[in-house]
Amino acid sequence: MAYYELYRRSTLGMTLTDALDEMVTTGELTPTIAMKVLAQFDKFMNGALKSLKTKLSFKGDLETYRFCDNVWTFMLKNVTFDVSGPGGDKRAASVDRLKIVACDGKAVLGV
Amino acid sequence: MGDDEPMTDPNAKAVTVAGPSDAGDGAVDLSVHPSGIVPQLQNIVATVNLDCKLDLKTIAFHARNVEYNPKRFAAAIMRIRAPKTTALIFSSGKMVCTGAKTEALAREAARKYAKVISKLGFPAQFKDFKIQNMVGSCDVKFPIRLEGLAWSHGHFAQYEPELFPGLIYRMQMPKIVLLIFVSGKIVLTGGKNRDDIYKAFENIYPVLTEFRKLPNPNDEDVLAQLAAPSAAGAAALPAP
Repeated sequence: MAYYELYRRSTLGMTLTDALDEMVTTGELTPTIAMKVLAQFDKFMNGALKSLKTKLSFKGDLETYRFCDNVWTFMLKNVTFDVSGPGGDKRAASVDRLKIVACDGKAVLGV
Repeated sequence: MGDDEPMTDPNAKAVTVAGPSDAGDGAVDLSVHPSGIVPQLQNIVATVNLDCKLDLKTIAFHARNVEYNPKRFAAAIMRIRAPKTTALIFSSGKMVCTGAKTEALAREAARKYAKVISKLGFPAQFKDFKIQNMVGSCDVKFPIRLEGLAWSHGHFAQYEPELFPGLIYRMQMPKIVLLIFVSGKIVLTGGKNRDDIYKAFENIYPVLTEFRKLPNPNDEDVLAQLAAPSAAGAAALPAP
């Protein structure tokens, strides 16, 4: 089974990679085991995100898009996120630019 | 853009009659458009040959606003904002450009796509640019008896309201297909040039007036409505 490795570049994935690198250089782990840990990370990130029920809505101006190799890429401008707290308080967060890379969720368990 | 032909109102006829044949400053040239109505172009489909083999994956990967899903469709779909159009780009180097509102804009758009592709390193030419189809539309602003029209023009007209609410009229000369709706809205398609669209409309216009749907005489409300604007119009005329 192969899983998307794109979550390795998230904050969580980067810190894990750094920690594993450190342990490999100090000889606490073999590179093979470090790779296995990362593979586990990929598997559980994909699984954990699949079970999430939380929804977030955002709005922005679509500047460019692309669909190539079954991956959608969107570049947005003037994006506002609807960040509603649990107590029902409404807040908005905004960014000037946003890039979205979207892969086919059904293709995860294939290969 | 696309507004080089002003919207015409049948009520404005009296004004245009005063200054015939000086179209361009808002007036309708009645020698070309005796009906006083100018069909507006809505879509133009054009093809061009870039005359070089293209790697669509490279194009999809490096250009913006491209969709390429070879499992679904063999062409890459690219869009630009101005002129607002869509192009289908095939690996053979042939391209179809759709969505432009005038002939000039269709050519301008096709040139822009060719430029994008040549910037990606393909030796794109610009050969055999040809307009393949034109779609126009207009509104005669009166309802039409489609059954009557279908009966008397059975040879050209096809009207099956259970399949499609419009009457399909296949004109032979010029070779244009017209969709005629009860509301008086008309769609003209299949033209290779703007004059064919205009000619087809002028051909059909007398037929449409012949089959104008008149209000039911028993319906006093409609009669009252019909009387009201004409009375107002008469009142608006200066006293002789």
